[in-house]
Amino acid sequence: MNKRYVMVHDENKCIGCQACNVACRSENGTPEGVTRLQVRVEGPFGDAPNLHFKYHRVSCQQCEDAPCVKVCPTGAAYVGEDGIVTIKEDKCVGCMYCVAACPYKVRFVNPETKATDKCNFCKDTRLARGELPACVTVCPTDALTFGDANEPDSEVAKLLNTKPSYQDKTHLGTKPRVYRIPTKRGGIES
Amino acid sequence: MNNIWGDMAQYDPVTWNWVIAVYLFMAGLSAGSVLIGIGMRWYSKDNKTESPILKAAAIVGPVAISLGLACLVFDLTKPFHFWLILINYNFQSVMAIGVLALLAYSPLGIAYGLIVLRDELPKWGLGFLSPVAEMLLGWRKAIEVLLFILAIGVGAYTGFLISAMNAYPMLNTAVLPALFLVSGLSAGAAANSVVALLMFKVDSHDNELSRMHALELPVMATEIMFLFMLFCALYFKGGAAALALASLTTGVWAGVFWIGVVGIGFGVPLVSMLMPAATRHTRGAMLMVACSGLTGVLALRHFILYAGQSYIY
Repeated sequence: MNKRYVMVHDENKCIGCQACNVACRSENGTPEGVTRLQVRVEGPFGDAPNLHFKYHRVSCQQCEDAPCVKVCPTGAAYVGEDGIVTIKEDKCVGCMYCVAACPYKVRFVNPETKATDKCNFCKDTRLARGELPACVTVCPTDALTFGDANEPDSEVAKLLNTKPSYQDKTHLGTKPRVYRIPTKRGGIES
Repeated sequence: MNNIWGDMAQYDPVTWNWVIAVYLFMAGLSAGSVLIGIGMRWYSKDNKTESPILKAAAIVGPVAISLGLACLVFDLTKPFHFWLILINYNFQSVMAIGVLALLAYSPLGIAYGLIVLRDELPKWGLGFLSPVAEMLLGWRKAIEVLLFILAIGVGAYTGFLISAMNAYPMLNTAVLPALFLVSGLSAGAAANSVVALLMFKVDSHDNELSRMHALELPVMATEIMFLFMLFCALYFKGGAAALALASLTTGVWAGVFWIGVVGIGFGVPLVSMLMPAATRHTRGAMLMVACSGLTGVLALRHFILYAGQSYIY
């Protein structure tokens, strides 16, 4: 069966510490001023004293029907055999069509390579070595889970089967593979 | 940077800037000019002489598309790798199909220009091109038909290019290619009359010129109707699409729309029709109307591109 790599971000466990953001920069050598992954702290929502924040992971959604791949004139943005959306740097001319077309606005021009760049689940580095993406490994609260959702026994499959989750902008038909477990207001019960 | 998650500059939804707006304008202008030039030749009784309008189109067509393509190439982040786009094709991409169309359209436009201007070439010190023009003359009909079809494609393509992005409610509409094609026609007509009046010293009461002028009102009415359809579609779609209508009332692009597109682009030509015929048909008046038409179309491309990208689903 085909692989279907997904990432689950549990917004209950996330504390917005940006350890994932920093680990990503270090693993992928992301230049200053651009970002593959950030967790935006939104809020506070609600009335005091019952305030809560929302932790919104902003990174490539690894759409199954990716607008960036459809619009790329040269095929530089492509879907690999593992289903992961990546960029062939040497085929990219920098027309910015993919950057404009991405509904999640997570693509950018890498100022060093002048090609577009974005999260690819650490495909060429950690994933190739059989390790988990840097953000998943580093997360201090284990808010991130990564794996093959087509594997029924995988942690992500179990998580998606047992907890309510949502994806961003599903109405655009992009079928994003970043799932989010929404915050249960009122803190974590122990 | 005053938040803990880092720089937000890359997340600005406005990705394509004025250079692309100028390219969209130039491509539409080129296509519109060629469509009007060739179309009027087909409808004219006199096929023996080259009309000043056709000669104007023979210049405007290739020059505008060349300037537009220059904008396009130098807007790439890797302008000197533009050839990559000529050898790699993803046929799902509107841009790749556009590259193919432009690859045929641009040289054919130049070839057709040489044919039409064959008698002018020696006068401009380009006599060495005359043998090429004479050689191409035998292929005139084929080149003309093909160029006409490709011009429809290029004119509509600029609309398809930006309407293919479903991230933006204002751009992701079916009417955009039609709007761009029609506003390209009005820009093309305006540019043709400017060049015909200034370069080929055509009389402002010239028959062909008056016939082209007569096209302007129906073309403009169609343009206004398409714009109305665009805004209606956004309004009734609701949600994020309806929010994009705020671009008509707030911000700098509302000014560009109401002053540039409506006031200068539609208002000046429409009001000029109320002038007495004697004034209306003077050279100065015709040039003024043509230039305001061109300004309006340029403003429309800017409005659609910027306002369109400012509102995201």
